[in-house]
Amino acid sequence: MTAYETLTNHLAAPALALFQEAAAGGRGEQILNGIKHPDLSKFLVIGALLFVIGVAGVLTRRNIIVIFMSVELILNAANLNFIAFSRYLQLTGNQNAVAGQVFTVFIIVVAAAEAAIGLGIVIALYRNRETIFLDKIDLLKW
Amino acid sequence: MVLSGWEAVFFWVFAVAAMIAALLTILAKNAVHSAMFLISTLVSVAALFVLLGAEFIAGVQILVYVGGVMVLFLFVIMLVNVSAEERGSEELFNRPAQVTASALLLGLLVLGLISATKQGVDGLNQREQARAEIPLEQRVAASEAQRERGMARASTGVSRLSRETELVGASLYRFASLPFEIASVLLLVAIVGSVLLARTTKQEVAADDVDPELLPELIKAEPELAQEGSGLTTT
Repeated sequence: MTAYETLTNHLAAPALALFQEAAAGGRGEQILNGIKHPDLSKFLVIGALLFVIGVAGVLTRRNIIVIFMSVELILNAANLNFIAFSRYLQLTGNQNAVAGQVFTVFIIVVAAAEAAIGLGIVIALYRNRETIFLDKIDLLKW
Repeated sequence: MVLSGWEAVFFWVFAVAAMIAALLTILAKNAVHSAMFLISTLVSVAALFVLLGAEFIAGVQILVYVGGVMVLFLFVIMLVNVSAEERGSEELFNRPAQVTASALLLGLLVLGLISATKQGVDGLNQREQARAEIPLEQRVAASEAQRERGMARASTGVSRLSRETELVGASLYRFASLPFEIASVLLLVAIVGSVLLARTTKQEVAADDVDPELLPELIKAEPELAQEGSGLTTT
């Protein structure tokens, strides 16, 4: 069996079958409708992706300021979910739907306080250690 | 909740803009560029808030995050020396093994989040079986009618305003008044704490806020501190 056959039999054929199945079963129309009329799930996916990007920033970067920015990104993803669910509940007739927005206000307040304290710590750290790279700050490591 | 027409177009524009800017935030070499990309992410998310009918939160996001927090970030970036990364003398990311491990973890997280989102939305749709059976056009129409009902006539009677801000304000001061007060105390603590944290040794000595046993050592290291300290202790 040549590489070409392997490719067509094991990758291209199933992909084509999936595509045909989707087209026949009205799946394509469903996807198009999903694009033309975004609903709650699209907002949740955007929130999840923003969250994951923020976590990636926290885990991989070494610059403490960029890590702080990634934390802000994570908090914003949570805010987006809160607002999306608030809107969804409002349209289903829930009386307390606005609670999501109120909670978001508190998240923003706490994020602002966290940023002020965190950046104060960064300045104190820089004054003492002359660096803002996290792997150089290992005073408590033995 | 179903968006339609221009709302859908703007949703995709701002969603994609938020994604790209967020990616560039964590990939940018220069911390100032990171901050700028984060600002564009925050503005895009604020636009998504407007699409969701949360105008007040969108305004707060712009004012507090973009106008306050990000300016603070830029000040700190200016104060500390972050050009080492840009010159290439410092690595941008952690060591490869750590990055690979976190990438694997992230892959799991993405899979989990997306399947959880899908399952959750399916569950919500099932719970409201009746809603799910309504054709899409009717759901869109209902969504628009709901938004129309949420609008109140302005005092001139010409324009129509969203009542969302009114509702948020009312519940913020009625049902959430205790957390509101606690939040104001938190902000006060944060102000005092960050001022204390960011003081220089000179300022600490001037305020007579240094351990008396430590003071001679500090003065030995920096002789000009002596005037600061003695100046205040004698008065």
